[in-house]
Amino acid sequence: MALLVALPIFVVAFSWVLPKHELWAHFFENLLPSLIHSTVILLVGVGIGVTLLGTVLAYLVVMVEFPGRQWLEWALFLPFAIPAYVLAFVYLGVFDYSGYAQVWMREALGLPGFDIRSGSWAIILTFVLVFYPYVYMMARASFKRQKTNMIEAGKLLGASPIRVFFKISLPLARPAAAAGLLVTLMETLADFGVVSLFNYDTFTTAIYSAWGDFRSIEVAAQLASLLVLVAFFLIHFEKKARGQAKYYSTNVSNKKPYQAHGAVGWLIALFVFGVFMLSFAMPMLQLLIWGWGAVASEWSAKYFDLISSTAILTLSAVIITLMIATVLALPNRCKRGSIWLQSVIRLATLGYALPGSVMAVGLLYGINQISAVNIYFGGESINHIVFGSIALLLFAYVSRFMAIAYSSIEASAQQIKPVFTQSARLLGASRLKLVMQVYLPMITPGILAGGLLVAVDVMKELPATYLLRPFGWDTLAIQVYELSAEGLFERAAVPALIMVLFGSVLMLIFQVLDKHSSKGA
Amino acid sequence: MIKILIFSLLATSSIAAVSAISNDSVTVYSSRKEHLIKPLFDAFTKDTGIKVNYLTGKGGALIERLKLEGKNTKADMFMTVDAGNLWYTGSQGLFQAVQTQVLKNNIPNHLRDPEGLWTGLSVRARTLVYNTERVSPRDLSTYADLALPQWEGRLCLRTSKKIYTKSLVASLIYHHGEGKAGNIISGWVNNLAATPNAKDSHVMNAILSGQCDVGLVNTYYYGRLVEKKPNLPLKLFWANQDTTGVHVNISGAGVTKYAKNPKAAIRLLEWLSSAKAQAIYGALNKEYPANQSVAPDSVVSAWGSFKQDEMNLSQAGILQATAVKLMQKKGYR
Repeated sequence: MALLVALPIFVVAFSWVLPKHELWAHFFENLLPSLIHSTVILLVGVGIGVTLLGTVLAYLVVMVEFPGRQWLEWALFLPFAIPAYVLAFVYLGVFDYSGYAQVWMREALGLPGFDIRSGSWAIILTFVLVFYPYVYMMARASFKRQKTNMIEAGKLLGASPIRVFFKISLPLARPAAAAGLLVTLMETLADFGVVSLFNYDTFTTAIYSAWGDFRSIEVAAQLASLLVLVAFFLIHFEKKARGQAKYYSTNVSNKKPYQAHGAVGWLIALFVFGVFMLSFAMPMLQLLIWGWGAVASEWSAKYFDLISSTAILTLSAVIITLMIATVLALPNRCKRGSIWLQSVIRLATLGYALPGSVMAVGLLYGINQISAVNIYFGGESINHIVFGSIALLLFAYVSRFMAIAYSSIEASAQQIKPVFTQSARLLGASRLKLVMQVYLPMITPGILAGGLLVAVDVMKELPATYLLRPFGWDTLAIQVYELSAEGLFERAAVPALIMVLFGSVLMLIFQVLDKHSSKGA
Repeated sequence: MIKILIFSLLATSSIAAVSAISNDSVTVYSSRKEHLIKPLFDAFTKDTGIKVNYLTGKGGALIERLKLEGKNTKADMFMTVDAGNLWYTGSQGLFQAVQTQVLKNNIPNHLRDPEGLWTGLSVRARTLVYNTERVSPRDLSTYADLALPQWEGRLCLRTSKKIYTKSLVASLIYHHGEGKAGNIISGWVNNLAATPNAKDSHVMNAILSGQCDVGLVNTYYYGRLVEKKPNLPLKLFWANQDTTGVHVNISGAGVTKYAKNPKAAIRLLEWLSSAKAQAIYGALNKEYPANQSVAPDSVVSAWGSFKQDEMNLSQAGILQATAVKLMQKKGYR
């Protein structure tokens, strides 16, 4: 099953068997040196940014009591619901040379204008604001599980809150933060929407150039396989960084170790609120302004179709992905050392680093190869049955988003202490009972978090959906893209707002389930 | 549960397949966006009773899908923008030749493939746009002259990754040769006031806000902008009027090689070239009709007439790879 999930990976790896293309010389000379340079800068910048922002925010909302903490803890998840390219679009509209912010700066303050798309800092900042929730979410869950008595001990020994953060909390949260960082870096590698809006060249640019400009699907696949290789190393380093560290803890306490009073409290509140403003409230306001005037002309009965297609696809993809991810994560936790299982899992989770359209075309090629083999043995082509079927689209989602479901479930499976298994065994529990009554309840928070992430990602997914969907299965993301690609931002704001609403509802459901499950534990 | 789900999903997709093959319907793959084609298809269905199923997508991706589906494709027609894309689709053997009297009467020769593989359905011009408060039209002349030192720090361009830029540069290579075209691109890159923009609308915003003074746009983006805000200090300038003429491109369509219902597809193609459909085309998107008997939309006619570049449009496809390599060499992002 997991091998099947990795089909697109095999397709791109196989591309090296094909003869070398003369295009490589041109790419080596003119594109790759600068692309690799800018990709590395982007990854390093985004990596540092999301790790800092994500863990600091998570630490603040979990460990410190400050004004507005309760609702900010949940509000910080909301940027998840906005597709990255929509956010990038709004930022450009507001902060580029012709945007309100710069016009105001020039006219009211007399400052010189500048091109925010030159250099790397603006795009890095955009990615950080889009992707910090990955680290925030995982670090928050991990901080929540930390024993408060360790922190109390640190306090008693006279350590400052900042020292406690760096010496106790951060090392404890490292596995979770690393998982969030990994997801972020893979997502950044695969991104095409934000980088094309900023016209910032990354490795993905070369893949699209090979395919779109030079019509060479072979070179595109070869380049994509390099991307997969990078992802492979990232995963490897993440595992290494995590090391053999096992931070088990069980007791969850709702008491905050730190109380921030007075000015400090308000400063913290201002900082957290500022992040929320910049990453969610401000873009939402802009979307509302755009959407307000357009809603009358844009809204039609068609939206019921768009909404139901989006909902059905999202729900089905989430259920299938979670089931496979759980099946992969559990035995991996319990029977360690199976190299075969480890490699299968690695393959199955690599799809996340592939740009959506590369993965989609890779799938079509894979199916085509299966057909060719089938025909060779006297059978028939299966292309017309599989192409444009929902099964194929769901397959693409599962293949692409397996990594997030898996890493989130795996992170919470880290809590399963060997002693649980042993004591359950001693008490004579059957294997089934062990799984149902011990393992599953313990990894429920991970399943919920993974489910939420997959749901929001599937809802926002564009390139694979655009190419693989059956007739009549347009989604909200497609509507946003089609309208904004033609410059109709006001109308595009309408489906974008519906998506955000959807995402917020998902977040709300998650919040309720999360509270419920942490009470039960 | 999952089995039931998958079964019902497969069932729905095969029902869709059956209905797509029935006689009174035609299936279109389109890289033109839904909101631009749906009004046309609705009008066609009203006129003829033939239902249109359509699937929108990105041009390159849809071409791959057509290729892989081969004989089993459900598509009777493929509709896309840019002559380069149409030429490439034809060169991959995905279109069948269609030469009917109606098409010959409605659409001029240079907007149709010589073998009848594809037909242009609308014309878009890519030309200069400038800030009327900062630039005198007397200083403007050709695409090539935007490379002159007088425009240093005053030029905004759209990204080289967009197909419209590629086709324009292909026309420069066609007219001037690769060497001189390369010099022009270097000059452009040198004159840029900002990183090339993702969209034509961003180029116009940059010019309006004073980041730069002059740029290149497809006229319909300008048309949509001035329709909403008529009094902007922004004007079009027809390029190369004393030399080769304004670079034009087309959107168009062709009947697929393995169309299940080629009759209905041809009927749709002919209908799209008719005066009625061409007027809808022009009004929807502020493009120039391909059918010369139809006057452009009133917003569009106000810009006056101009001399068109008569380079055969298949050159845009033939020279596209050369154009991209050249831009990548010269550092035009």
